[in-house]
Amino acid sequence: MGRTDIGPPDYQEMLPDIIKKNYGKWKYHENPRPGVLRHVSETGDEIYTVRVGSPRLVSIDFIRDLCDVADKYCDGHLRFTSRYNVEFITDSKAKADGIMEEVKKLGLPVGGTGNGISNIVHTQGWIHCHSAATDASGLVKAVMDELYDYFTSMKLPAYVRIAVACCINMCGAVHCSDLAIVGVHRRPPKIDNEKVLAQCEIPTTIQSCPTGAIRRHPDPNVKSVVVREDLCMYCANCFTVCPAMPLADPVGDGVAIYVGGKVSNARKPPMFSRMVVPFLPNNPPRWPEVVDVIKKIVEVYAGSARKYERMGEWVERIGWEKFFKLTGIPFTEQHIDDFTHAVETYRTTTQFKW
Amino acid sequence: MADEVTAELKQKIIDYLKAVSKAKNKEVAKDIGVDKHVVDKAIAELSKEGVIEYIYLGASFIKLKDA
Amino acid sequence: MADETPLLDELEKGPWPSYVKEIKRAAKKNKASKDLLGIQELSYKDRVTHWKHGGIVGVTGYGSGVIGRYCDVPEKFPNAAAFHTVRINHPAGWFYSTKALRKLCDIWEQYGSGMTNFHGSTGDIIFLGTTTENLQPCFDALTENGFDLGGSGSALRTIAGCVGKARCEWSNIDTLDLVRNLTTEFQDEIHRPRWPYKFKIKASGCPNDCVAAIARADFTVIGTWKDSLRIDQAAVKNYADNGFDIKGLVIDKCPTDALEWDEKAKELKLRADDCVRCMHCINKMSKAIRPGVDTGATILIGGKAPIIKGAYLSWVLIPFMKIEPPYDEIKDLLRRIWDWWDENGRTRERLAELIERKGLKTFLREMGIPPVPQMVYKPRANPYVFF
Repeated sequence: MGRTDIGPPDYQEMLPDIIKKNYGKWKYHENPRPGVLRHVSETGDEIYTVRVGSPRLVSIDFIRDLCDVADKYCDGHLRFTSRYNVEFITDSKAKADGIMEEVKKLGLPVGGTGNGISNIVHTQGWIHCHSAATDASGLVKAVMDELYDYFTSMKLPAYVRIAVACCINMCGAVHCSDLAIVGVHRRPPKIDNEKVLAQCEIPTTIQSCPTGAIRRHPDPNVKSVVVREDLCMYCANCFTVCPAMPLADPVGDGVAIYVGGKVSNARKPPMFSRMVVPFLPNNPPRWPEVVDVIKKIVEVYAGSARKYERMGEWVERIGWEKFFKLTGIPFTEQHIDDFTHAVETYRTTTQFKW
Repeated sequence: MADEVTAELKQKIIDYLKAVSKAKNKEVAKDIGVDKHVVDKAIAELSKEGVIEYIYLGASFIKLKDA
Repeated sequence: MADETPLLDELEKGPWPSYVKEIKRAAKKNKASKDLLGIQELSYKDRVTHWKHGGIVGVTGYGSGVIGRYCDVPEKFPNAAAFHTVRINHPAGWFYSTKALRKLCDIWEQYGSGMTNFHGSTGDIIFLGTTTENLQPCFDALTENGFDLGGSGSALRTIAGCVGKARCEWSNIDTLDLVRNLTTEFQDEIHRPRWPYKFKIKASGCPNDCVAAIARADFTVIGTWKDSLRIDQAAVKNYADNGFDIKGLVIDKCPTDALEWDEKAKELKLRADDCVRCMHCINKMSKAIRPGVDTGATILIGGKAPIIKGAYLSWVLIPFMKIEPPYDEIKDLLRRIWDWWDENGRTRERLAELIERKGLKTFLREMGIPPVPQMVYKPRANPYVFF
């Protein structure tokens, strides 16, 4: 056995010299063009950052391509952002121009800064997850192809953060994104009684259900469980603890769309995204129904929001009733919350719009 | 010392795990009546020695490694 | 093996870089990646996932860092029948030397499929797809080259922070050093899962919160300041002279009406008592307005995604704390939280859910933290008080 518990490499070994020299001394920055940041230090030094979009799911040869660019222009260093963008940091505008030329040859977009749409935070989907109700990489590709111009420009009222989660476990900041696409099931688990006996602990499985829908099988000779379908909201928590209860279904599964969340404390406090479309079918490879709705919402927002207004701030100002009217998205009984904190969302005033 | 991992404690943990399919550290500590922090340390050592392994079933548990 | 992938081929078209092209690149050199392409095509045809629950896989001494993954049609795709994920703890801030990155690529070329995520949503480098036999040698090669695994299961997950002082003038705390220090301190908690469920720590240097700490971390550190923000009036004048609408886009948009604009003198005045340090004016006038100098952080707790009882944003626990090495106060607080949660939490119960079940009051008493009004939006309206 080799070494254990050494932890990751020290970040200091990974910083380019100019960053080390100006660590903690940055004075201000500006955004001279989409995808390029210029930071100026108290020492008088300046750096240019070129931000580049990546599909996140990449081959090692893709990483080696990035390394070639960084070796040529960035003193052999690069970084990634929390939204999977690649950042090339260099000390002159001429080198930044060189980086942009190189990444163009690699087919990668420069952008993702300021009031545009940055890369989509997403999960694994059908590429690698057992509980996925939809794919993630494919949805991202289809949506970003359509919104590409918003990545390479800064023409929106404020930035728009998009996230995709392939099931409601939401392994990304989906629940607080301006736009969120979430994989959902619509069918209760299909129980394989023999597998339950072999693979699952019945008390744990019963306990796992947040609505108490799971009971022991009524026949004491069958060591399994049954699901009260009227109580099941398809969260798949039972499937996580008991693999003999899959929910995946080609027709039942699809995606829901949420709107108006944010994590930044700038202006309004952080807020959750709210459901605006309860279900759209999985229609690979390009999910046209989903792409259409996302594009429509972005366009309505772009035309209606005031400058610097995040999507959630815009919706709060105009009211949800106006949001549904402007976007033409139908309001249905699924939009009305009936889970834990539902009543907090019911309107208790005569103030509303038509 | 009560906060030291002894061979005796490790054997107690092994004996405990022989009787169950899987357990959480907390349950082991409670049932053998030893402070949780010491049990955590002992379990870490047992895992490095390859005696126990971890299993994930919606949450993580420990079990004896199959012979 | 799938030689034809008509559905996936559609995703090679369009301007956004294509992950399908990337899998095809890896597939040229690696049979497992070729089968991965086939499995993905099959999912596109069937509209369901073809991955099963993981079994027990891992490396000796660790309960974290490897996610077991098996294909449900191994007869069709034998080279990806076992296709486990390896999570590798990233260096704080996601900075890399190309030397380190090339080494990682070489290791993964030798031991895995050649497909990766840079990065996973918690922040780890993800190596996607290897066999059970290759896990231990892959891990040994990683540690020989200075890398280690990240968290998974009921453990402390890989800690993440924003770019911080490395390249941001707004960072009120040294997020990279904090992340590095806590990661080093809590290696055992990261690698040996023992708690009710997962626990996440994230640190952002300012209230813009670029790593979404408030939404995604059980323990949220957000840099802030206690004194007044700093205004450079000459730079303010420059903004005004260049036609920037200070009144409309900054003053009128201040959420607490804490700014005043003297149009004649072209001067910006701050009512410091009314400022809630939201960052809006700083974001829009980076050359003229900066955070204060008495810097530290607000500590918030409980942020999480919906499973099981719904999503939570983190709640204010400590309105202001100095964040300086060796960070003993934070480490001590974390240990007390973990002990209480581990003692009282049910399996798969996150910290926020336990606090909601037991009451914030109980939690504060157990932690020895006095209640302050900054913890709530408003006091209770009901009369049902336990004295």
